Amino acid sequence: MATELDCSGKTIREINTAIREHIARGEDAVVVRNPGARHNLGVALLQPSTVKFDGSVGYFCGGLMDGATVEVNGSTGWGLAESMLSGTVIVRGSAGNGAAATIRGGTVVIHRHAAARAGVAMKGGLLLIGGNCGYMAGFMGQRGTIVVCGDVGEAFADSMYETVCYVGGEVGELGNDAVIEELTAEDLAFLEATFTEHLPERLAELKPRIAGFKKIVSGRRLWNFDKTDWDVWQQVV
Amino acid sequence: MCGIIGFLDKTSDTAPVGETVLTMLNALACRGPDSAGVALFTGPGNDRTVLRIKLGEKGVFAERQANITKRVQTLGRVLAAETSEEYLRLEVDYQGDPQQLSALIESEADNVEVVSMGNALEIVKQVGSPENLEQSHGVSRITGTHGIGHTRLSTESKVDLSHSQPFWAHGRPDLAVVHNGHITNYHNLRRRYEQHGVRFYTDNDSEVIGVYLADRLSQGMTLTEALTASLYDLDGSFSYLAATQNELGFAKDRFALKPLLFTETDSEVVVATEEIAIENAFPGIGGVREAQAKEVQVWQLN
Repeated sequence: MATELDCSGKTIREINTAIREHIARGEDAVVVRNPGARHNLGVALLQPSTVKFDGSVGYFCGGLMDGATVEVNGSTGWGLAESMLSGTVIVRGSAGNGAAATIRGGTVVIHRHAAARAGVAMKGGLLLIGGNCGYMAGFMGQRGTIVVCGDVGEAFADSMYETVCYVGGEVGELGNDAVIEELTAEDLAFLEATFTEHLPERLAELKPRIAGFKKIVSGRRLWNFDKTDWDVWQQVV
Repeated sequence: MCGIIGFLDKTSDTAPVGETVLTMLNALACRGPDSAGVALFTGPGNDRTVLRIKLGEKGVFAERQANITKRVQTLGRVLAAETSEEYLRLEVDYQGDPQQLSALIESEADNVEVVSMGNALEIVKQVGSPENLEQSHGVSRITGTHGIGHTRLSTESKVDLSHSQPFWAHGRPDLAVVHNGHITNYHNLRRRYEQHGVRFYTDNDSEVIGVYLADRLSQGMTLTEALTASLYDLDGSFSYLAATQNELGFAKDRFALKPLLFTETDSEVVVATEEIAIENAFPGIGGVREAQAKEVQVWQLN
């Protein structure tokens, strides 16, 4: 049975210490009540464990994490799961700017919307957004995968390396050197498996849409300088 | 930093806006310890003009108060007068030119300023934390339809009452603004407006937003059009809220550099820099989303 922890009247340090103590005692799951959208909750969780926030959290929730599972039954502020090494972060509501920025691995699932700069500089892992995402998502992505079921904002997938993006809705405007590629059989299978695993309640709606997703990758024109690409470089620099 | 908040009640003209706005603002006190303020709209159904006048920054102002009241009486009957700390609040039977009334009051002394004017608008702001607003001015007693609030971390201009926010858009009754960010073309805009005779009361870059919106609205734009135009006319980082007698709106800059979250239910609209403010006043309200770059929203009172 899950242990419960009430945030009321506690400082952030007291809450995070209590979460770590629960995990150290080997408890399967900790349910955190009344998080009150406060910042820095559930950061640097370095052991396999499950922490469920029953409400919204503030900035940097699940940041610097390695191997834990964090669920947020609400929305989150800036820097969700920032620089995570591995683990799973699930948000039932929406996320603020910079969700899953610079993650190296693991999975971040946002059921509603993500704001600006989602998944920038990702070095691995999966970012799955059930709704829309904002300006400059995927900027300078090095590895990993971004899946957005809804629309994406301007400067999408700008200056990327090897991150692969899939978009189910409209693309506001592709970023520099971002190109749309044909979906392969592997892509279709990957999307179906991803939705089956992470958004099963929406599978009936998403599955027929899979073939209409756009795959967006780097056009590789910015990987090495070539003077015939001067026009693109002028825009970027 | 700075924290901004907004609240609009869809169901009542006598909602506890003062209390709600303060509850939200208290949660953002840590974002702006320098000063705090609110702009509250006290509901329709009144054609008197309400003035909140700063008598000075610090000191005893009994004589100024008497002089100003006398001056105002030459333009319209004074229906009510009260003071709290540096403020003189007047209700006046006056529907004439707002500029004329302001100028008459402000000619009393250099640091006298009409902080707000309108049929419904009342601005109370001061140096210090939001708690001071309640202790000194009993803000939570004020009821009405909607309101905005601000906690300030000063980065570019001095800390006193006039440099605090919200800013009334001087000269345009019932228009108030709160801003989080920096307007980097402030000096250009200010110079341009000053050439057209606009008086700036502070060196705070946020003041220009009110001036800008008043200018656009007076050209016949709607609030939505004016906020949308500002995305390109204002440079820098901003999330700001603007409120008129029957509207509450926000605009976020092209690069989404400053936070702003909002949610809407059947009964209210709630907007804040951080969700912690929304949670403080409406625990578990849900549906909160961060505004996107270039997003503009305006809500009308029914």
